[in-house]
Amino acid sequence: MKHVLLSAAAAATITTGAFAQEITLGRFFGACEDAGTDTTVSTGEACIIQSIINAADAELDGISINTLPTDWGNYYDQIKAAYAGGTPPDVHVMHRHRIPEFAGLGALAEISGDLEAAGIDPNDWSPAALDAVSFNGGIYGVPMDFHANLWHVNMDVMEEAGLVENGQPVLPSSPEELLAHAQQVKDATGKDYLAADFAQFPIGVRLVLALMWQQNANIFTEDGTATINTEAGKNAVTAITQLFDASLANPQLNYADSQQAFLNGEAAILVNGTWVVDFYTAEAAKEEVGLDNYYVADFPTLFETGATWADSHMWAIPSTLEGDKKMAALKVLAFINDHNIDWARTGHMAVRTSVVESEAYTSLPHRDEYTGTAAIAKDTPPSERYGAIQDVLNRELQAIWLTGKPVEDALSDAELEVQDLLDR
Amino acid sequence: MQDLKASKKRMSQTQAAWLLLAPFLLTYGLFLVYPFFRGFWISLHDWNLLAVAFNPDAKEFIGLRNYERVMWGRNIEWGFASPFWQGLGVLGLAASAYLRRVDRLSRFNAIALGVASLLLVVLPGFHPGEEGRWYDRRFWPTVGNTLLFVALAVPGVTISALFLAAALNGETRAMGVLRTLFFLSQVLSVTVVTLIWQIMFSPRQGLIANITETFGGIPINWLTDEQFAMAAIVIATIWWSLGIAMILFLAGLQDISKDIYEAAALDNAKGVKAFWFVTLPNLQRTITLVVVLQIILHFQVFGQSHLMTQGGPNDTTQVLVRYIYQTGFRDSELGRASAMAVFLFVIMGTFSVIQFIIGREKE
Repeated sequence: MKHVLLSAAAAATITTGAFAQEITLGRFFGACEDAGTDTTVSTGEACIIQSIINAADAELDGISINTLPTDWGNYYDQIKAAYAGGTPPDVHVMHRHRIPEFAGLGALAEISGDLEAAGIDPNDWSPAALDAVSFNGGIYGVPMDFHANLWHVNMDVMEEAGLVENGQPVLPSSPEELLAHAQQVKDATGKDYLAADFAQFPIGVRLVLALMWQQNANIFTEDGTATINTEAGKNAVTAITQLFDASLANPQLNYADSQQAFLNGEAAILVNGTWVVDFYTAEAAKEEVGLDNYYVADFPTLFETGATWADSHMWAIPSTLEGDKKMAALKVLAFINDHNIDWARTGHMAVRTSVVESEAYTSLPHRDEYTGTAAIAKDTPPSERYGAIQDVLNRELQAIWLTGKPVEDALSDAELEVQDLLDR
Repeated sequence: MQDLKASKKRMSQTQAAWLLLAPFLLTYGLFLVYPFFRGFWISLHDWNLLAVAFNPDAKEFIGLRNYERVMWGRNIEWGFASPFWQGLGVLGLAASAYLRRVDRLSRFNAIALGVASLLLVVLPGFHPGEEGRWYDRRFWPTVGNTLLFVALAVPGVTISALFLAAALNGETRAMGVLRTLFFLSQVLSVTVVTLIWQIMFSPRQGLIANITETFGGIPINWLTDEQFAMAAIVIATIWWSLGIAMILFLAGLQDISKDIYEAAALDNAKGVKAFWFVTLPNLQRTITLVVVLQIILHFQVFGQSHLMTQGGPNDTTQVLVRYIYQTGFRDSELGRASAMAVFLFVIMGTFSVIQFIIGREKE
């Protein structure tokens, strides 16, 4: 009788999943309350990723996933504090640019030997995707996307200004043309040519970086020398400030306000990332939204070489994770990797070659409008101080366009501070 | 025999006292004393948050170098570079010592004059030498922003709470309801408060922008304009912190005997006159308490700056606690962040000592 009872209890435990591995998962992208488990219908980064996580939770046998409450703005601070306290999430998302900091200090697990067992084929990743998750010869995560800055275009405003040809927007090919187009839009419509978050989120920094890269320059060299106060730096900043000086763009808009201005039809161009393509597509379809005719364009080349700021989202696991827990975490990564096409619906560029070449991917809305972006995607050289460097640039650029600090003074101050950071 | 009994009783009383105090002392030691000394210890090291977590040997003892890097500069020199201001400082020092000696100044005022004079002597003396610059260009401006915030928020909260308390110092039901309503903002979390005020200040859909537009004005970008950003977080803070100060003033007001007002009324002191000559003098201790509490509280401002303006634009609302947080967690420089935290502790300690001195003088 005793044996029967024990067997029944064991069977009940197995069937109710009491032995399920609980995987804690840390992510940004925002909150989505009712994401459901259908990964094919959700819209926007937050809901798409949460639907994939919910589906993994429902479909992966013996694994339950607990998504931790994290906040976008403080995400890396929270993750770092969790690592320092010895309680990092079992699986977490991060950016490519953070790998030197986290992997370099031993926080992330090197997983090249575990991928096959987990059912992940790294040969399906594009060479750039493999490069994005590689550090010192090892693989430290599963890539999820490439994301980059794009020009989001209100075709109605551009049409009114005479800047549409053959159904495509006419984009500037030099700083002088940028000013001329902006003036043309103002004269014809009374609206601003360009909107972006120049006041808080570092979209303005990414814009200036792209314009520096277009001149084959960078903010620091591979050997750690800051090169910001240069002719290329001044050219890049001046290309933007000329718009503010002529009242053709408003530097005081933050992320929410610049987006609202674009959706209200108050600006011809919004500089923002790939992550909002599906959201703007959905908004443009609504009658009450001012944006009706939405188009997405590659970041234009204003100098010699094409370049736009880009980064990559990836999923990593802590180096301290072992045994069954580690295998369960890898299965979650494999599930997310399998759903690369669903994630690409956001507007991000897929990392798996089989997905990029699929009909489902090429037929996504607006996808054919920014096919050139993958070829011009660039980022700064790897640095453990990336966050602090970006903060210095954001502050000094804000000083230029919000407080009128002379360009040369701001770039000189930025160079000093970035050099200090690189020297530490 | 009686001595033995008394001694035993005293001992059991002492034991009981220690027993009762133990939970507090344990908690106080664990969560306040230990972290303070640990923080000071960390401030003497080059300590990377992540590196040390994975390799305890990754830290390096560097003595006071973090303090030097935070507060000092490269090739910064000191000398009598501003003879006028420094001379004035020396005169002030001499005057405070003399006036205290002849009993023409209270001890508090003498100390205040002395500290101000010393600052006049010391501060203008700093000047960058050849290629001189601050190691940390953001630290002192951040301290300045924090002082500005305190200088605006403390009088703002104190004056508004005082007038509100005076206006609501009645015994009707409506007064009670109003008191509760005005206190309600105090119980909200900083996240909720900043969210409310971000919406209020939004130049697109905010209430303030709508009112401005109704009267034909142009909406202000409160949170991204360097002229208004600090004012915006001060306004939100005043609205948020009003409640507790108001309650303290109400308690103070209810302690003032009605007889004093009646006597004042006989001397024709009513309304504003009574407020000025009766209420304010009788509230002096409460005002001091509120001011000192607010100073200590607002030196620790973080959430409003972090959530509403992210310290911007161009660092105009960057405050000390946020800078400590960023240095420790974003930049992973726990040693340097701890040195700044010790500096903040010294400032707050100074204000607590001032409060102690004032309290003693009043007694």
